[in-house]
Amino acid sequence: MTRVMAISASAVRAVPALPALQAALAAEDAAIFGYGVAGAHLSGSRKAAAEQDWTEHNEARDRLTAMISALGATPVAAQAFYRLPFEVTDAASAAKLAAYLEEGVTRAYLGLVAVSDRRLRAFGALAMQGPAERAAFWRGTTEAFPGLDVPG
Amino acid sequence: MLTASAAALPALLATAGCRSSDLFAGPDPLAGRPALSHDVITLQAVIAAEQAMIKLYQAAVGGRLGADGLAGLLAEHRQHLGRLQARLVLPPGFSAASGSASQSASPSASPGVVPARVTTGRLRAAEQASAADLLRRLVTVQPALAQLFASIAASDATHVVALGG
Repeated sequence: MTRVMAISASAVRAVPALPALQAALAAEDAAIFGYGVAGAHLSGSRKAAAEQDWTEHNEARDRLTAMISALGATPVAAQAFYRLPFEVTDAASAAKLAAYLEEGVTRAYLGLVAVSDRRLRAFGALAMQGPAERAAFWRGTTEAFPGLDVPG
Repeated sequence: MLTASAAALPALLATAGCRSSDLFAGPDPLAGRPALSHDVITLQAVIAAEQAMIKLYQAAVGGRLGADGLAGLLAEHRQHLGRLQARLVLPPGFSAASGSASQSASPSASPGVVPARVTTGRLRAAEQASAADLLRRLVTVQPALAQLFASIAASDATHVVALGG
């Protein structure tokens, strides 16, 4: 029987699992570093929120490290220093950095959704919801397509 | 000279012990309408669910349930719908609303059924159900479509929080 092909203008081929997991781990490491910088410029409930987010990124890093090790690979090491995308000097720029970090982590997990392994795909899709929610918190607004580069 | 109309072709082929597909390398034009692929049927179901979500938000905004805050979320659902519909190109003879989409649409978002009074809790539950439904569906479709579903599911999850979840 003839089947109508799936329609996709930007077909993405399934990607290997390991590089996608390593990319997610690298994004988590960058977020852990970045929250250390952002937290220094925050106070009160927003500082507490940043500390909570930092803890969640540490937990996610440990989870990814275990997953990569279980595949027989060496988890990518965190860098000693990360170049920030812009100068962080006050609470506003700290919040902007936190949103930037969460958006990066969201994108990294979305990369996992392109793998062929169904369990990893589901893991990536679920894992990106936390950073998407935190990005919305720090940005102050939701967005239609977290993690995707969609022309406005 | 032998002449034959297109209508007579199947009979001639049958007499000769041939199927029309034996003569053509491509799709068999005499085999009837081709079946839609799994991805297309899934996309139709997700589109139907997104349309139902928009109706729900429209009812809530019409009922002035915090209309200012809901308008932004409604706008994002319209963006979801537009992006989903852009992925759907059907062959002639198929309508966007046909197929088995309605059969497999999310039970949380029955198309055309909108309660008279839409509460914030109802919206929140619909967003949660939508995100869960997309997560369930994305493991069976092609990667590009899976990523779109995952992104929309994440957006729905942020809506749950925005609605006080």
